[in-house]
Amino acid sequence: MKKNIVAMLLAGGVGSRLNILVRQRAKPAIVFGATYRIIDFTMSNIANSNIDVVGVLTQYKPLSLMEHIDNGRPWDLFGRTRLVEILPPKTGEEMSDWYKGTSDAVYQNLGFINDFAPELVLVVSGDHIYHMDYNPLIRYHLEKKADATICLINVLKKDAHHFGIADIDSKGRIVKWAEKPKDPESDLASMGVYLFNKNILISSLNRSARTNGVDFAKDVIPAMLKENKVFGFIFKGYWRDVGTIDAYWNANMDILRKDSGLTIKNWRIKTNTSAKGEIGDRPSSYFSQSCLISRSLIARGCIVEGQVKNSLLSPGVRVHRNTVITDSIIFHDTEIGSKSNIQKCIIDKSVTIGNAVIIGTGNPVQNKKFPVHLHTGLTIVGKNANIHSDIKIGKNCIIRPGAEVLKDCCSGNTV
Amino acid sequence: MIDVLALILAGGRVDELLCLTENRAKSAVPIFGIYRIIDFILSNLMHSTIDNVGLLSQYRPQELVSHIGTGEHWDFIGRKRGIRILSPYHRLGKYDWYKGTADAVFQNIPYIEEFNAQHILIASADHIYRMNYEPLYKYHLQKNADVTICFKKLKTKSTRFGYGVIDNNGKLIDYQEKPKTPPSEWVSMTVYLFKKDFLLEILESNSHESSHEFGKDIIPKIVNTNRVFGFAFKDYWSYARTIDSYHKTNMDLLNGKIDLSKWQIRTNLLERSVCRDRLPAYINGEISNAIISEECVIEGKVKNSILSPGVTVASGAEVIDSIIFHDTSIEKNAKLQKVICDKDSEIGAGSVIGTFGTEVPSREFPDLLNTGITVLGKNACIPQNTIIGSNTVIFPSMQIKSIRIEPGSSVR
Repeated sequence: MKKNIVAMLLAGGVGSRLNILVRQRAKPAIVFGATYRIIDFTMSNIANSNIDVVGVLTQYKPLSLMEHIDNGRPWDLFGRTRLVEILPPKTGEEMSDWYKGTSDAVYQNLGFINDFAPELVLVVSGDHIYHMDYNPLIRYHLEKKADATICLINVLKKDAHHFGIADIDSKGRIVKWAEKPKDPESDLASMGVYLFNKNILISSLNRSARTNGVDFAKDVIPAMLKENKVFGFIFKGYWRDVGTIDAYWNANMDILRKDSGLTIKNWRIKTNTSAKGEIGDRPSSYFSQSCLISRSLIARGCIVEGQVKNSLLSPGVRVHRNTVITDSIIFHDTEIGSKSNIQKCIIDKSVTIGNAVIIGTGNPVQNKKFPVHLHTGLTIVGKNANIHSDIKIGKNCIIRPGAEVLKDCCSGNTV
Repeated sequence: MIDVLALILAGGRVDELLCLTENRAKSAVPIFGIYRIIDFILSNLMHSTIDNVGLLSQYRPQELVSHIGTGEHWDFIGRKRGIRILSPYHRLGKYDWYKGTADAVFQNIPYIEEFNAQHILIASADHIYRMNYEPLYKYHLQKNADVTICFKKLKTKSTRFGYGVIDNNGKLIDYQEKPKTPPSEWVSMTVYLFKKDFLLEILESNSHESSHEFGKDIIPKIVNTNRVFGFAFKDYWSYARTIDSYHKTNMDLLNGKIDLSKWQIRTNLLERSVCRDRLPAYINGEISNAIISEECVIEGKVKNSILSPGVTVASGAEVIDSIIFHDTSIEKNAKLQKVICDKDSEIGAGSVIGTFGTEVPSREFPDLLNTGITVLGKNACIPQNTIIGSNTVIFPSMQIKSIRIEPGSSVR
């Protein structure tokens, strides 16, 4: 089947800075905006740009991702000429192995790309929250007669060291490139969105493989800058790498802020609502006489009797009477007893919280084990944890998945 | 799997629901936010492991056809499972629209004969209840019944029902359709389980007569000649046949008489614009005892009400004791009391609907609309500051011009 363009979606990232949220799932599979997963944004961007062949490269804990992508139908990438294919690492073929990096993953799946004999290959990451029509990028790429075009976005100078940073000349050609530089010379960060001419991509990947290159940003792009015409395409709009717990929380809160630029409805983001454990057949949410709700996003299947402020509730969350939830993100099927108080907390799926539990109280001591992950006051509670009645939990705490919490936990501690 | 083929009567217009059934069969009327009435029987059949269903449909079937889709939402898809919409059809010789419930089944005998099932369940798609038909099936076999009819005990007497008298052995000894003075409290749920051979026999003999209704023409005739048994159903059952009972059924959900989390009702979630691709509800308002579906944006007040997906309640607006269907927007400071509002309507800022004249019955439908409910049809467009009294019906797609509509009016 001949296609003009094929998208390769990198969804294998561990996202280890997200700590226990990525214990049982890959970063792209993390719940976002109550009913979505992070990968939905890239999947929807691809589908809305009318690109209809997508290879999803998975490696780390792919099960929940595979279930979510299913047959591609939620994004209408399903039919005789439209498809999503999950491309896990494989053995038994020449050169096949675990994916050693982003470019290696694509390199090991050149066969998939060649099946469609495309002129162009779009390589995107499933880790980001943004809305982009890739067609202007494609037009720009063709207009510039580029070999490769990299999407760039202006970031704050102080954050630039987290990203690949590019410098472009007046024609838009990338003249300098540095991956996560200590002293960034520019504020143009790579969004992890690359558009390649297929033949150039193949020769670059072959060349890179000969020198043990495995990563687009570290190996392939720097080599291409010397040999090929690599252009930068500057994207204006909302874009977040939700790679840290703090960034993840903030981007979720952006949904509740009217002027944040994150408008899921206008962005036409689609998700798989019928996968196991999702919204599925749940009835609409019930709000009792005692509830009090402000500035919150509440998915189907919740029962709310308490107070919810500035928070996001995924399907099946139950909040009992006289409980107050503030600035928090609660995943599917978590139940919170009465008279509890939960502040600035991310609570994973199927957590049970008893009565009169207080979370997010005390001094903002950074997490002792993972000070880099947790230092802004957020507490995270892992999947299936059980927090008994009358327990107090501080700020910057980590409650591990499945933990039985029978004792108070001061700020900065890990259970 | 039980040895039963189901034929569901889903084609009724039901005039008593006024403009809610203007463009759809009763079984396609939305309910409880995200469902349609037919979801209840389809889910019941699914949970009872009945694998093949024929849906007899005649009146405005479009919404129903798109709702059923492939049947996958109720698991009626597979090599041995299926759902088929059986509409009236042309054949050689004489043919016609369905002339009654029994005629609809009679015309589809070829469908029945495609299957090996020895028992045929015939039931209406218009009722709200949760029932497992397996105990009914076992009872039917145990009694060696020709037909078993489900009854529900109702205190309130009405002339709308069929009533049965059942003896100690469960045998039906009397049956009267819509009697002036009911002989008992046992109301037929219009759920019949027939032996196939017996069904074919009586349909053949009924086909020569002039009227073709199970309740009116067939059951009274066979009560004394055949093994007709009654099966008592004890749980919640709602007829929801009138505007008033439809409203009450909705309120029953809010009052906890119905526990949907236990009923496990399935619906078509992929249907265009129903639930699919909608954002969760955004709530920044005052909510009390309400059901709110996805993509509702609530900045005002919602009390004792049920909102389908995509309803907007702007700041200062109040929705009380009301049922609002999909994608209706209620602008600033509008006030709705005891209103049933169909899809895609716009209630202009400052409008007040249903707050006065509750004691004035509808002039056109005095028997149907007299309890203070106001019904707004699909695509209603109510301009700013319009005042509309109770017991009023606004038919679909009406662009209201007058600023005051007296209670008991019909606007078409």
